[in-house]
Amino acid sequence: MRSPRDPAAPVRAAGLLLAIVVLWPLAVIGEFHPWVLFEAQNLKVMGGFLSAFLPPDTSGEFLAHLGRATLETLAIATAGIALAFVIAVPLAMATTRALSISRIGPGAGQRRGEYLRAALRMLLVVLRGLPELVWALLFVRVFGLGPAAGVLALGLTYGGMLAKVYGEILESGDERPARALLEAGGGRVQALCYGLLPGASQELTSYTVYRWECAVRASVVMGFVGAGGLGQLMDQSMRMLNGGEAASILFTFLLLVLAADALSAVLRRQLGDAGGYGGALAFGPRTLVWLALLGSALVASYGWLDLGFSALLTRDAMASMASYFMSFFPLDLSAPWLAKVARGSLETVAISALGTLLAAACGLLLALPACGRYGQAAEQATRFLLNALRSVPELVWATLMALAAGLGPFAGILALALHTSGVLGRLFAEALQNAPSRPRDALLEAGSPAAAAFLYGTLPQVSPQLIAYSLYRWEMNIRMAAILGFVGAGGLGQLLYVELSLFHHAQASTVIAAMLLLSIAVDAASAWLRRRLGSVTA
Amino acid sequence: MFHFSRRLALKGVLACALATVFLNTATATAADAVLRVSAIPDEAPTELQRKFAPLGKYLEKELGMKVSFVPASDYAAVVEALASDKLDLVWLGGFTFVQASIRTKGTAIPLVQREEDARFTSKFITADANIRTLADTRGRVFAFGSPSSTSGHLMPRYFLMQDGINADTDFKNVAFSGAHDATLAFVASGKADAGVLNASVWKKLVEQQKVDPKVRVIATTPPYFDYNWTVRGDLDPALIKKIAAAFLKLDAGNPEHAEILALQRATKFIPTKKDNYDGIEQAAKAAGLLK
Repeated sequence: MRSPRDPAAPVRAAGLLLAIVVLWPLAVIGEFHPWVLFEAQNLKVMGGFLSAFLPPDTSGEFLAHLGRATLETLAIATAGIALAFVIAVPLAMATTRALSISRIGPGAGQRRGEYLRAALRMLLVVLRGLPELVWALLFVRVFGLGPAAGVLALGLTYGGMLAKVYGEILESGDERPARALLEAGGGRVQALCYGLLPGASQELTSYTVYRWECAVRASVVMGFVGAGGLGQLMDQSMRMLNGGEAASILFTFLLLVLAADALSAVLRRQLGDAGGYGGALAFGPRTLVWLALLGSALVASYGWLDLGFSALLTRDAMASMASYFMSFFPLDLSAPWLAKVARGSLETVAISALGTLLAAACGLLLALPACGRYGQAAEQATRFLLNALRSVPELVWATLMALAAGLGPFAGILALALHTSGVLGRLFAEALQNAPSRPRDALLEAGSPAAAAFLYGTLPQVSPQLIAYSLYRWEMNIRMAAILGFVGAGGLGQLLYVELSLFHHAQASTVIAAMLLLSIAVDAASAWLRRRLGSVTA
Repeated sequence: MFHFSRRLALKGVLACALATVFLNTATATAADAVLRVSAIPDEAPTELQRKFAPLGKYLEKELGMKVSFVPASDYAAVVEALASDKLDLVWLGGFTFVQASIRTKGTAIPLVQREEDARFTSKFITADANIRTLADTRGRVFAFGSPSSTSGHLMPRYFLMQDGINADTDFKNVAFSGAHDATLAFVASGKADAGVLNASVWKKLVEQQKVDPKVRVIATTPPYFDYNWTVRGDLDPALIKKIAAAFLKLDAGNPEHAEILALQRATKFIPTKKDNYDGIEQAAKAAGLLK
């Protein structure tokens, strides 16, 4: 009896079959028709638009607009992160187990404390479960026109995100000092400042800076629903198919993202250097300078934007906000509407899953030259390509792809795939670089071809990491896929945009609920898959 | 020393954050002697600003108060802003007026309209040689303007429905370009196979020779009431009277007025009333856009 060449063959075949069974209907729902890219009609539309890119619009009046919009974008991001910080700190303190007093003793408050934390955690899920764009769309309606909506939307979503991550960072460190302080009768603030922060401050600051960088990108996107800044300008130029203006804006945008990237890298390196004893932040003149800069950036941002939050604090404004909020209830759960929302949800899932899968494949292909396998020149060129791909937000890719592939979900798949390829390609390249090279070298020396050496020597070592990265991106992409419809790229977005425009709030809130459920479901599915794959490979 | 200074730093950051929030609330200004004007963004925002500038100056002179134009990028945001007293005078379409009327519980007052608005129409356009009638648009990509637009969405959808074409099910895909001039760009580029825009913007674009020769009109809707200038109901009645009078006084014979009227594409302004828009409300209900 001959043993099979590959003992794992049945398992692999079953896996492949399962993947096809799951992906096939998704491809049908997502209208995955790559050939439309080469249809004469679509080529002409795209060609016409791209040829208008040159020369970029450099008229004085337009550049003045552009400059103002760029500053506004930066200010929205900075003010938004500041607001997020103010929201996140108390929420993180309340939700982190590391600072729970009731958890220590057997007192009566133990259960109550746990319920309170669970309730607050649910609030965080809602805050960050909805894409900032949806918050922005709602706020544009309530607070009117302009950047205030963007700042608030960023503040809420990022507040939810920061609070969750702050809480996790605080719990992941050494909890004993804080516990000792609490047990000795110290308050929460003292336990935080002297028990937890010394160990965690560097990571906390680093994450906050990273989020600011994300906020710059996000604030651009929010302009698409009228929340000011570069995005608003981009939306207008894209709608009018004004290639010259679009080119100038895209270029400015790339520069801005790269600059934010670089600044964030410098800041984080500074933090790394500044790590004094025990990894804690040393406080010196340099810190003072940074704090002064931070303070003035904040003041400048709020000053520039003229947000007029005080108008929100009047009784009338509160009442109108409350009635606006209440108009979203009860949800429309009638059968025909649910069917429509379900259809949109399926499309959204298809867009996110196929887009991420496509991106993982392209990302891996691009990661090979990007990790320096084919020489210096190829490495530099692919790295630049990856940066360019991920600097352009999904929503902007979606407007472009709606030209290249026609309106509909396929444009959304392509948009997600392009942006995510850039993100995953970079991460994959890092993973490949860090993979030990000895198994591959051994195979090469034994005379196996380079492709086989890669497939059997390198890939098995990095694949769990690559899959984990891809699943994380899928969690982000489901939120993105939900809003691509704003520019006509399929999914739930267009439904939400139209219903909100028509003041059909009951219908809109069903869509919003569906978005929330989708993002929670995908988070859970992705966590489950990661656990499964982790246990398989371990 | 080490701990002490870090605590100071933390407090500093917190104080900064709080201070900016509160400073900001304290310096907000009251908008008393300013008439806040806006318009639904049915055309590119730069075009709206250009159209409004001379009218704003004229109103400032006639009313004896400052007039500021608040640019908007979203139809529904204008309606919501009027309903929450953030705007005083707005240029609305027929459907947005009906929405505003509902959202203000009937207090919003329509003042004046252009003579043209009493018999307004929309044009169905295409750049595809194979599309000759409305029926040919079935199964194709169709572009409306904004979902809240009267002449770019509601009335065309209503008349399509009367012709037996259901916009929700009979097109391959429906795009919302957001504005009338953007709809033309969608159709001219082929991003959409056919689309619909209001006759007034179409006429202007043709006169300015901004229309690609391939693009042609395949159908025109029957006439209906459209745009008007609306004020919020709790504005000072004396001021409301002055605003209406200023519009009605505009006379094409006066060269200064002629420029304003030309930019508004109006021969003259005439008074309007709520009943004029009952037809729009019926159509919106029939088309399922109003519940």
